Amino acid sequence: MKSRTISLVEAFLDVRRWRARSVASGGCTQLPIGLYFLETGSCEGCAMELEALCGGAYALEQNGFRRVLQPEDADWLLVTGAVSRRCAERLDQVWRAMPAGRSLIAIGRCAVDGGPFAGGYATLGGLAGLTRVQRSVPGCPPEPAAILAALVAFREGKAA
Amino acid sequence: MIPLSYMGRLVRGGERLSYGHYAVDAPTWQALWHTSEVALPMLSFWADERRAYGLFLEGDQPLLVSTAIDDKRYVGPSQRYPVAEWGERVAFDLYGVEAMEVPGDGRSALDGGAWDITWPLSQRPGPGGNHGGAPKVSKAPLWIDGNGVTGVFGLVPDMQQGGIRAEQCEAGLGHRGVTAQLLGRTPEEAMGLVARMSAGGYVAYPLALARALMQAEGRRIEPALRDSWMVLLEIERVSLHLHDVMLTARAMDAGVLAAHCTHAREALARVCVENGATRRLTDMIRKDGYRRGVEIVPLAQAVLREMKPRLSKLALLVDVYAPRLAGLAVLPVELARGLAIGGPVGRSSGRSLDLRRAENGMRLDALRATGASAGDARARQAVRMTEVFDALRLIERILGSFGLGEADEAYPAIPNVTDQEGVGAAESARGDVWAWVRLRDGRVDAIHMRDPAVPLLAGLGRIMKDVEVAMMPLALRSLGVSTAGVAQ
Repeated sequence: MKSRTISLVEAFLDVRRWRARSVASGGCTQLPIGLYFLETGSCEGCAMELEALCGGAYALEQNGFRRVLQPEDADWLLVTGAVSRRCAERLDQVWRAMPAGRSLIAIGRCAVDGGPFAGGYATLGGLAGLTRVQRSVPGCPPEPAAILAALVAFREGKAA
Repeated sequence: MIPLSYMGRLVRGGERLSYGHYAVDAPTWQALWHTSEVALPMLSFWADERRAYGLFLEGDQPLLVSTAIDDKRYVGPSQRYPVAEWGERVAFDLYGVEAMEVPGDGRSALDGGAWDITWPLSQRPGPGGNHGGAPKVSKAPLWIDGNGVTGVFGLVPDMQQGGIRAEQCEAGLGHRGVTAQLLGRTPEEAMGLVARMSAGGYVAYPLALARALMQAEGRRIEPALRDSWMVLLEIERVSLHLHDVMLTARAMDAGVLAAHCTHAREALARVCVENGATRRLTDMIRKDGYRRGVEIVPLAQAVLREMKPRLSKLALLVDVYAPRLAGLAVLPVELARGLAIGGPVGRSSGRSLDLRRAENGMRLDALRATGASAGDARARQAVRMTEVFDALRLIERILGSFGLGEADEAYPAIPNVTDQEGVGAAESARGDVWAWVRLRDGRVDAIHMRDPAVPLLAGLGRIMKDVEVAMMPLALRSLGVSTAGVAQ
């Protein structure tokens, strides 16, 4: 039976071994793009996938992205969820707080068009009902790998 | 046989509407909240324009009581059961029915003055912001992003006294009008929407509704289907526990533990896909079965092969980082019992309720008594880890006798009762999810889904009372707070 110490060392080595590699050809040498996540009313499935994307299983940082905790530090706004009426003002505030050159990305079906929660008294549908959405990642919820691949494609100038 | 409590006798003195559902008159309804006898735990309260409902737990069985609402008013249970306050506020926002003799300030739960229609589910909705004047809304600045809750939750820290101002927090910001969309749908259509109620229960939510529909429609459950549902629920439990342990680990800078959890959860998702299921088990539960093309036994075997070798390191890492969580955000057992807080949060405080133990066909030897009682973040993390072990052991036991045993027999029709009603439950990773549904002419006439975060939020003020602002995200991560199923 392994000692506790040996098992711990192995656990640390596992994490080094798992370090995900860049999916972009040749890696990324540009300044990292700041991503700000905003949930606006959903089952939270897409928000959970974004959390998974930030875990060690995906090469978010190796691909030139970093999660930021303030909209003032963000380049791209990643929105999850149908836009509930009570979250609409907050969405606007966060968007306005971001510096120039900002970009809006809808993550998941709800953020695009409201998904199953479109219509009715409680939501404004998705971003498509509020503005022209040029960048989106479909899925319900989308896989972290698909989100990352889409982000890399957006950075390289390819629209979804 | 559990002896009937005083409340149980009061309720059963009413008219029987379905199995475990009794209609009582207004004086009896009022007496329920004024009795000095030991009270049954209340699981949920809700109301529509016609009736108010209280769901209790009697032993391990549900007991539902309802009363007619007269002139849009009823006596509110929150004077005795604080957990009912959320349902009272929601009922006012949706239907305009008002709870009387209650301690709350009548603050809006969902509307908040943002809707362009008032009381949207009432027979006579009005223009926005017009239900007896402007809706009462908290003016306190809300801390939403980065507060430790994945969904939309407005937290209000108390900068003077410490802890939070629970009465000013906002849990309804992400309301999406799910109940309105469910009414009038066929059960099959409703299942699809309920399956998107909360990512904390992609299996548990539709499973609770499927069980309620089984009762409502008088169908029996064969052992193979019952076992298949159990397996899917346990796989979801492993996935959700890994997610919650991961978020807690990340919030306390335990990167190695977080990385192991993430890898394990992603490996689990991959195994699900390889065996015909969806990554996070979305859309797996049907009202009388599960997704076509999935073979449960190979899926379960693959899950065991993938997950068991990872457990020892996960458990070791949880143990190594445990001291960082000691004493944080303590849930006292009397609060857990009083509010019926379940799941790993309740069980780590000493409230041992686990609905799985009461299920027909359960392999009870797989479920250990997860006997923590400290009620702090350390105990919650340890209980989640223990439950991952137990879930895999339960899957193993189920595979050893898959499809054997007796079926759950159908509930026979009740004479002179035309509506079809049912109550169902599922022990999700985050606690007990309850579904109540009434069908009329084959469509959903009324429905209620109870999320385990509702009682947790009712007790949040006391749980967080000694927590410093800087530690709040970690505390909330350790509680696994999600508002998706609360705001609906």
